[in-house]
Amino acid sequence: MVTQAGFGNHKWAMAVDVDKCTGCQACVLACQVENNIPLNTQDRFERNRSISWIRVERYWEGEFPDIKARFIPIMCQHCENAPCEPVCPVFATYHNAEGMNVQVYNRCVGTRYCANGCPYIVRFFNYWEPVWPESLRNHLNPDVTIRSRGIMEKCSFCVHRVRRGVRKAASESRPLEDGEIQTACQEACPTSALNFGDINDPNSRVSQMKKDDRYYTLMPQLGTSPNVFYLAKVDEDREIALTGAESEGGDGH
Amino acid sequence: MASLISVIKERNKTTPTWLKILIPILGLGGLGVVAVLAALAAFVVTGWLGQPVPILGFDQTFEQPINFPHTVHAGTGQLVDASGNARLNQDLMPLEALGLDCTFCHRTVTTQANAGVPPVAQCAFCHQAIGPESSVPLTQLRQNAGITGNEPLPINWRRVTRMPDHVRFVHEPHIRFLTANPASIGNATADVNSQQAVKPALTCSTCHGDVAAMAQVEQVEPLKMGQCVDCHRANNAPTDCAACHQ
Repeated sequence: MVTQAGFGNHKWAMAVDVDKCTGCQACVLACQVENNIPLNTQDRFERNRSISWIRVERYWEGEFPDIKARFIPIMCQHCENAPCEPVCPVFATYHNAEGMNVQVYNRCVGTRYCANGCPYIVRFFNYWEPVWPESLRNHLNPDVTIRSRGIMEKCSFCVHRVRRGVRKAASESRPLEDGEIQTACQEACPTSALNFGDINDPNSRVSQMKKDDRYYTLMPQLGTSPNVFYLAKVDEDREIALTGAESEGGDGH
Repeated sequence: MASLISVIKERNKTTPTWLKILIPILGLGGLGVVAVLAALAAFVVTGWLGQPVPILGFDQTFEQPINFPHTVHAGTGQLVDASGNARLNQDLMPLEALGLDCTFCHRTVTTQANAGVPPVAQCAFCHQAIGPESSVPLTQLRQNAGITGNEPLPINWRRVTRMPDHVRFVHEPHIRFLTANPASIGNATADVNSQQAVKPALTCSTCHGDVAAMAQVEQVEPLKMGQCVDCHRANNAPTDCAACHQ
């Protein structure tokens, strides 16, 4: 285990309880505000160039009127064996000792190889210089870099919040508590479907959730071993044999 | 060029061998060499201008809206004016510098990311009574503070110490480390490096130099990434990119 001096032996992970997700999109909005993501106008959306670090995918199951909507929030999976990392010619994306897939904006030269390599389609390219209307100028988060045109960006696991939490615990000379660090999406989630924590701590909430029978990861056949994992939806109409089926079910979105 | 060649021909008999080899090379590729040298010079000059370091006068000092003297507030010892004479008060007694702690005004430096600049009200707390009425900067300060009856107005101080782009510097953990490990304090003016623990104000010199002795504050360290990383490596601090680039 590689440990990083000064930050302690943490490995961050996120558990998404799909059973609790109502598809309300609060996480999407919270992420947008927290991380200084430019506004996705209709024009950008139609050109498939909109940026949203977390998205709630919707799948329909069955035929009307026996139809069910399925929701699954998808953000950067922070893979241990990430397909985006080895293709970067300038090491702008790399895996740090805390299990995070880090994007270093000032190294990125915008080759977009990483986005092509990512099977989860959670990397976004800045096709335009980010601009906000005058009324929104003061809402920007000073802790997060504003990405300029021509570089990639993606979910950072709210690394600024993680750093803030670790720093706060250190300044108060106490160990970091489980649940003390919350990502923006987790904070906004009304049903606590999103859970962020230290997987190295066996008593943390995410460690407990990982032991759940409903545990699965997205696209396990690719061997990316993500640090984001999911707990399958409980459905009384269906047999519980849901390993990976949730993400592949339905007919498009 | 022609005169240079004639001179070379004249001196040909006494020219050393290495020069005889070098001169034709320069003569043939002279334009190319000049072009390469010019490009190099332009590269270095733009580099310096883009990220100034305190060499060749490219350091950053700014004319502040009010000429705030750190020497008077943070310095120690007797005050002297520009011509070197001791400054006297109304009773003709010599004035002494206050020797205020840095954290007296930069209050958030030990708890937050930014050191913080005090509000005008804090200046006015002393200066509504202290300082002569004839003083130009103090008159402006009192106007900004709203003491003279006009609308209060914050002072638009100019930032002097700058870090490169895309880096998130937080004062709090650095002060926390240096107060507990004074051996790592740089640019120390007093004997602090051998002590067990020091107060926060003694750690500032590592990056900011001896501000108390500066009539006009300037950036003394280049504060480029190499400097940050050197210090982080020496003190077993994180060198993960995402520690600073977020």
